[in-house]
Amino acid sequence: MLTGLRTAKLLLVQISGIVGLIVLWQFWVAARGLNTIVLPGPMSVVLQLLNEPAVYFWNGLHTLALALAGLALGTLLGTTVAVVAWSSRLFEGILTPLGLIFSSVPIVALIPVIARILGYDVRTELAIVILISFFPLFVFTLKGLKALPPGASDLFQTLGATKRQHLAWLALPASLPSWLTGFRIAAPHAVLAAIVAEFLMGTSGLGHVLEGARSDLQMQRALAASLSATVISVTFFLLSAVLEQRLLRNR
Amino acid sequence: MQRAGTSIRLNHVSKSFSIGRKTVAAVDAVDLTIEAGEFVSFIGPSGCGKSTILRMVAALEAPTAGQVTIGDLPPSEMAQHHRLGVAFQDHALLPWLTVRKNVELPFRIASRPVNDQQIDQLLNLVGLSEFDRARPKQLSGGMRQRASIARALILQPDVLLLDEPFGALDQVTRRHLNIELQNIWARNAITTILITHSVDEALFLSDRVVVLSGRPGRVVKVLPVPFGRPRSPSVMRDPLFHQLADDLTESLEGYVGSEEP
Ligand SMILES: Nc1ncnc2c1ncn2[C@@H]1O[C@H](COP(=O)(O)OP(=O)(O)O)[C@@H](O)[C@H]1O
Ligand SMILES: [Mg+2]
Repeated sequence: MLTGLRTAKLLLVQISGIVGLIVLWQFWVAARGLNTIVLPGPMSVVLQLLNEPAVYFWNGLHTLALALAGLALGTLLGTTVAVVAWSSRLFEGILTPLGLIFSSVPIVALIPVIARILGYDVRTELAIVILISFFPLFVFTLKGLKALPPGASDLFQTLGATKRQHLAWLALPASLPSWLTGFRIAAPHAVLAAIVAEFLMGTSGLGHVLEGARSDLQMQRALAASLSATVISVTFFLLSAVLEQRLLRNR
Repeated sequence: MQRAGTSIRLNHVSKSFSIGRKTVAAVDAVDLTIEAGEFVSFIGPSGCGKSTILRMVAALEAPTAGQVTIGDLPPSEMAQHHRLGVAFQDHALLPWLTVRKNVELPFRIASRPVNDQQIDQLLNLVGLSEFDRARPKQLSGGMRQRASIARALILQPDVLLLDEPFGALDQVTRRHLNIELQNIWARNAITTILITHSVDEALFLSDRVVVLSGRPGRVVKVLPVPFGRPRSPSVMRDPLFHQLADDLTESLEGYVGSEEP
């Protein structure tokens, strides 16, 4: 594990890149004399955020809640289906191609279909986030359930373990690192899916703000919404990284 | 000495594997009875079917011909009743559990209450009391094998099956663990099969040493070991020990290793 000092140093290095980018952005906008419809400078984006904090806060909260709920349900579903696939060759044979097909269809193409079934509202948005989160969890959990320490399967057989004990004491704990990888991949995708869904469904949330700003040519609003979305996305990523570090500390 | 455990009967046991279209005979008509409480070692060239014999006794493979019985039961039933203790060459400890939790595992699988006192005793016996909260990766190779043997013994099984448990260890550690294993075994002589490629290890620990031919493994010699028990390490300096070791080595020679590619 990193010490406090090293963490601080690392953070400084990481932030310096971002700060550099923002400075470059400000210079470029000033040097080229761009107006705010083409590209507003970073300062005006921040001002926009501070001007209407409630808009970004409440819509951000909507996006956050949508992404979190979808990620949680997608994780639950992906893990459960992986366990079912693990438990029988037949189920695995049926479920693996299904999962693959669902994951390869672009969400933009799926949205109208799902919206037909569930309606043009938050239920469809949630279904999309679940679907996007599902696949990495399914694939990585199934892979992890089979990544057993050498000899462990033989050991359990000689101990007279039942299938259920095999799962609880061996396969599930063995799958943890791989499961976490799936989660780390799914987390930022859930945020992205939430925003895309909001963008296309247009009820509320940062995606909806983006859509509105785009049609009104309000670049400051669009960028402020993007900034809020980035904060959520990064938070998700950091949370999953912390989770991973916590759970794998003793491995 | 108290004799415990159950006899193991290998009744004209053969095993072949099919790899693609080819059939490989691994074990050929091994006929042998291991008495209750007896310690028997199998030695033989690499790839001669030693592990396959042990795996058939451990209910991990079924013979192609003949039967294996432990007491009156087939090995699979012994496994279901949690009566087998097995230690493998690659310790097979679960990396996410502490040493103590690893040794506890058989209790969980057998759905029996964990007997902490018994675990303490056994950890003490194998010299791991101080390391009961360590993870396997924090241990040396020898310590891992000790933990794995402790796990094999925790339910006081009817038979103990050891597949080259010290194979990956250096000579000094190995000798040390041989002495420890003898002490553990001497407490209640449990029927034991040890697979090894060390002639000294086999002679020091066993009541009988079974020499196998090159693949397919056939019994070429069964040597009763004449030394009384308990044996002190000084036995290994006995001229008779050296002579028997030479004899065994000689009967092993002429069989080159026949590991499948
Ligand atoms: N599961 C298996 N499938 C195919 N061949 C096997 C299998 N297990 C063992 N064998 C073959 O059987 C022979 C004996 O193997 P093994 O019992 O592991 O030998 P030993 O333990 O004496 O080194 C080898 O030729 C090996 O390749
Ligand atoms: Mg072997």
